[in-house]
Amino acid sequence: MSEVISTSDARPWTDPNAVPFLQIKNVTKKFGAFTSVYDVSLDIYKGEIFCLLGGSGCGKSTLLRMLSGFEGLTSGQIIIDGQDQAGIPPYNRPTNMMFQTYALFPHMTVEKNIAYGLKRDGLPRAEIATRVTDILSLVQMEGFATRKPHQLSGGQRQRVALARSLVKKPKLLLLDEPLGALDKKLREETQFELIKIQESLGVTFVVVTHDQEEAMTLSSRIGVMTAGEIVQVGTPREIYEYPRNRFVADFIGSVNIFEGRIAEDGESHVIVASPEAGLDIYVPHSISGVIGQKVAVAVRPEKVVISKDDLGDLRNKLIGTVDEIAYMGDASVYQIRLDNGKRVRVTQTNLTRSEESTLNYGDRVNLGWDGSAGVVVTS
Amino acid sequence: MSSLPLGIRIGAILGRMGLRGRTLVIAIPTVWLLIFFLIPFLVVAKISFSVAAIARPPYLPIVEWVDGFFRINLNFGNYLFLLEDPLYVAAYLGSVKIAGISTLIALVIGYPMAYLIARSEPDRRNLLLMLVVLPFWTSFLLRVYAWIGFLKSNGVINNFLMSIGIIDEPLVMLQTDFAVYVGIVYTYLPFMILPLYANLVKLDEAYLEASADLGARPITTFFTVTMPLSLSGIIAGCMLVFIPAVGEFVIPALLGGPDTLMIGQVLWNEFFSNRDWPIASAVAIVMLFVLVIPIMLLRWAQKEKPNET
Repeated sequence: MSEVISTSDARPWTDPNAVPFLQIKNVTKKFGAFTSVYDVSLDIYKGEIFCLLGGSGCGKSTLLRMLSGFEGLTSGQIIIDGQDQAGIPPYNRPTNMMFQTYALFPHMTVEKNIAYGLKRDGLPRAEIATRVTDILSLVQMEGFATRKPHQLSGGQRQRVALARSLVKKPKLLLLDEPLGALDKKLREETQFELIKIQESLGVTFVVVTHDQEEAMTLSSRIGVMTAGEIVQVGTPREIYEYPRNRFVADFIGSVNIFEGRIAEDGESHVIVASPEAGLDIYVPHSISGVIGQKVAVAVRPEKVVISKDDLGDLRNKLIGTVDEIAYMGDASVYQIRLDNGKRVRVTQTNLTRSEESTLNYGDRVNLGWDGSAGVVVTS
Repeated sequence: MSSLPLGIRIGAILGRMGLRGRTLVIAIPTVWLLIFFLIPFLVVAKISFSVAAIARPPYLPIVEWVDGFFRINLNFGNYLFLLEDPLYVAAYLGSVKIAGISTLIALVIGYPMAYLIARSEPDRRNLLLMLVVLPFWTSFLLRVYAWIGFLKSNGVINNFLMSIGIIDEPLVMLQTDFAVYVGIVYTYLPFMILPLYANLVKLDEAYLEASADLGARPITTFFTVTMPLSLSGIIAGCMLVFIPAVGEFVIPALLGGPDTLMIGQVLWNEFFSNRDWPIASAVAIVMLFVLVIPIMLLRWAQKEKPNET
């Protein structure tokens, strides 16, 4: 069909000369006295799957609705492919939207639903028919052309909704919680299909989701939003491994936070004195802070090692008691209580098959993490 | 056993008669319809097959016991007469025409009003609906009478138009078909608005947004999405206006002219002026069948409801 853009190796946002396909410039949206979106600026490049991730009411859906033209801007500018979208109504925008509720027209068959947008463009009947057939086979729904939406399952409706939003070959596809209405198993399968379809068509996707797992699997980059503002933009790996602040660290996955103060700020490391951990925590990256500044160290539960035996020469070592064990099948989650009362969450992959847990309630254990596991968050 | 509460004992007795909860609930409206609809209908049907007479009641019985013969006299003459005299056919057609045009006008006026109410802020909707229903608090007869004051030669409208100099002579509006349309549309408009509102308020705005998103201008969206999805509301509203309008008697009598021909008036005349009960009954029975067709249509439309999401 069109050029294949692989999201894995193309990283246009790292290229200073790349021209963003979608520019959101200082966009603010107020509903009366309530500010839904505040001063958001984003550059999104062609072929990206960009996820807006945040809790409910964080303004992510409002931002999407401003892109599609359903909401006006209080201030700011939205530029798609070099064209300012101010004053352009939804029916003239180069975007299409896949609605959270799918919004398939209940009085039309699958075929008519998909053909709806093409008919509005006044395309010849024969071309509409071929394009509908093509897109139906792309989403593997060939046999369902004459069904009405209420005769389809949730997953099938999701595919039809996707087909309907893609068939006009929009420059920009907006997806509002595209997988939200599907059950977990189906969601996981569909995620990968969505990526495959996106790669084969080369359409730029902007996805709104509250599901961090969905955002991690789908996106080339994630923009984490809270209270109407973008807190951090980055690849899933950057967001997960280097959260900019406590909110991001906590929102994406689970995390242990140790409060402390900067004790030593070296060339390539920081030492945070943390009474909460009862330890001077070594973090192998420098920060722009001053000695004595209040900071926190975030450590992911799966990066903490736990054992009854001595942990050898790990940089950060603690001792605690096993408080709770949650067996999840593939992994186990332990809550370890330190002697000062602080609880630490540890995830361990269950590598070997055994009937009995190697650790039991009340066991005294050593725990620790490698220097590179922790990250300093300042706010 | 005698210590059981009275309610339970009555329930047990009714249960033995085959009347348990669900049956009982259905039985009450069934009995109601039987007594107040089916039996009167049969009485009217019976009279329609009899012969008029100067008597009390003013018709001959259809079953007789004569010289040991049990005779049933079914007189189809009343029905045949309805076909023979062009007055009746013209009156039926006139009624259907006036009711039909009034229904269309009510739809054209009522749809935007219903749409507006359904799309306004939720806490303003009740106020607006209230305003639609408010005229019902005054007697129907008074409201129709009030229109005489508006439409007559030296009425409000003519006086106003003459005072601002648009017309020199008063317009003849009262005692014309125009006045009948005004009266019917005015009276039955709420019956159009309410079912349409009930339908449109459920219309998910996401459909309209999806339509706009796929490139449809608002007017296209209206005809391809909004209207088809509110079809059952349109049909319900039209039936609620059309059916009573066909049999309308008061409005044409008060506002209509001598040449306004509606079946309700004909029926009234046969019954009270001519005292020909059998013909009047035949007129009523035929009218019922004229109306059964649109009612069937309504039922059919309600069955065909794909409004599932």
